[in-house]
Amino acid sequence: MTGLVYDFSVITQSIDHYLVSHWGPSLAATIEFVLVGILYLLIYALVGLMLVYAERRICAFIQCRLGPNRVGPQGIFQTIADFIKLLLKENIRIERADKLLFFVAPFIIIVGSFLAFGTIPFAKGLHALDPDIGLFFIMAATSIGVIGILLAGWSSNSKYSLIGAMRSGAQIVSYELSVGLAIVTMVILTGTLQLSEIIEMQRDGWFIFKGHIPAILSFVILLIAGTAETNRGPFDLAEAESELTAGFHTEYSGIKFAFFFLAEYMNMFVLASVATTLFLGGWMPLHLGNFETFNHVMDFIPPLVWFLVKVFTVIYIIMLFKWTYPRLRIDQLLSLEWKYLLPINLFNLILMSVIVLLGLHF
Amino acid sequence: MTSGLLITFFITAIVLVAAGILAAWLLAPSSFNKQKSQPYECGIPTKGTSWMQFNVGYYLFALLFLIFDVETVFLFPWAVVMKTIGMTAFVEILIFFVIIVLGLAYAWKKQALKWQ
Amino acid sequence: MMSITFHQAVFYFFSAIIVIFSILTVTSKRILRAATFLLFVLLGTAAFYFILNYAFMGALQITLYAGGIVVLIIFSILLTSHVGERFEPIGWGKMIASALVSLIGAGFTLYVLLNADFIPTQAPLPDASVKNIGTALLSYERNGFVLPFEVVSLLLLAAIVGAIVIARKEPHDTENPNNE
Repeated sequence: MTGLVYDFSVITQSIDHYLVSHWGPSLAATIEFVLVGILYLLIYALVGLMLVYAERRICAFIQCRLGPNRVGPQGIFQTIADFIKLLLKENIRIERADKLLFFVAPFIIIVGSFLAFGTIPFAKGLHALDPDIGLFFIMAATSIGVIGILLAGWSSNSKYSLIGAMRSGAQIVSYELSVGLAIVTMVILTGTLQLSEIIEMQRDGWFIFKGHIPAILSFVILLIAGTAETNRGPFDLAEAESELTAGFHTEYSGIKFAFFFLAEYMNMFVLASVATTLFLGGWMPLHLGNFETFNHVMDFIPPLVWFLVKVFTVIYIIMLFKWTYPRLRIDQLLSLEWKYLLPINLFNLILMSVIVLLGLHF
Repeated sequence: MTSGLLITFFITAIVLVAAGILAAWLLAPSSFNKQKSQPYECGIPTKGTSWMQFNVGYYLFALLFLIFDVETVFLFPWAVVMKTIGMTAFVEILIFFVIIVLGLAYAWKKQALKWQ
Repeated sequence: MMSITFHQAVFYFFSAIIVIFSILTVTSKRILRAATFLLFVLLGTAAFYFILNYAFMGALQITLYAGGIVVLIIFSILLTSHVGERFEPIGWGKMIASALVSLIGAGFTLYVLLNADFIPTQAPLPDASVKNIGTALLSYERNGFVLPFEVVSLLLLAAIVGAIVIARKEPHDTENPNNE
């Protein structure tokens, strides 16, 4: 009973063999690095464009509108058209801005989110970076982004930008704690930080079922704190349109603005992937106890499809947050984190260790 | 191998942004205008510099964040071995937590968690 | 000798980054730029840990130093009232004196470094995986670190109390005490 194996490492290894036999190991390694770089760059940009389209469409349906539906079937090419438009727009130079930091800020933000993106396990064998500190590495990579935001806001020399950046900074660093603690809670159950091992451990059941109460609690905390950490509504007071124009990227125009937008959406994707990997079994198919036939049918669906379906379900929930709840004030935001999420998280951590100690998990 | 891949991702990210900016520099129009290069401020001329002094509250939250971040970093290795070590690890983390929660309670009591 | 390995090339690259941005950090005339250059120095140091396969330390360096301390530094810079201004040029007397002091320091360090006998160790590299770090951290046996681990919590408690005493405003808003 092995079921179907959709193993991408077969493909990657055959490419590796082909390259090594033609060019020798060192040149082959270089070519592979370049190939991986180009592949991930394309995926990164494409997923970003898709998410922007999905967001506009979902938001439109929630608000009883149609949303973009003219460019291509169902408007799927709308964001590509937008991207081309942004590319052709002028990069307005700001007088009296700190030009160097203004230029550097998008680089820092994209590097942070791209490094985290590299660790996402899409399917078996479709996994670029898999360090043994996996989850901790993702936390480290995403923590760089906040500096880009602070620099972008400060260097613009605009009051809106600076206030937006300060709010963002305080918010992101606060909620990073809860994201970290929610992840640590699950690490007690997994006993490893490596993403591929975590998924492998969920072959006989997802962690959200295995860890029951504390796992569900930390899933909810991760979703709330993650939404806040990625600066999305209802926690988007850093770019509250009605009062701060666009927050820290008010002064950015053209393609640089597009990068901030892209990084925000990709951070959301990374968050959803981490939630999927930790709680929903990553690319593992859904199995129900002893229903052999059902399990067998589920095995036929490729892992990549499983992974994407789960990730987009989580993303859909996060988008629903944004378009249904009103925006929080900054004092509410900070007290939510420090007076509710953090104590609950600490309690949940102890609860999880008790459950692991007594063997109450499945 | 891993460090090579890591460097690949780092360079790719930089290439992505650089290529975007370069393409925009080649394709996008560029013109200078005194009004256009002003920072946006509701459409009125900018008053003074925006590089001003900020509320101390932000600093306090950044400090508290740093302290709890250090705590989280210590929790990661603990959480990895919690399952294998068992009771000893649990008792050790309980002591650790009691002391940390004292700090959080102190901050709460002193109203440091309240936005001012 | 043209045979520079990949590792050596990467090492020299990041060394160059650290040296260049360290110099820029201390010579920059704008304080926030100096903080940004410091960020690059810290990231370069993290890269060294990754090259040495000590990934946990590398990620820790990024999380705490780049994502924590640099953010704190930026917030504290924005607390000061003269953020946007540039540093005043330093007088010649000060410049010569500090150059002299740093030259003596650099010379002494180089003298010690060049005269030291670095013996390559024969012992196998310790396994720096997170599991081993965790086991050592919680072990109460002879080479365990459980006491430092618990003392860290005391240190953090002291840091919280200190931070609040220094940075908290006096609660004098008696007009609406129930407003959270």
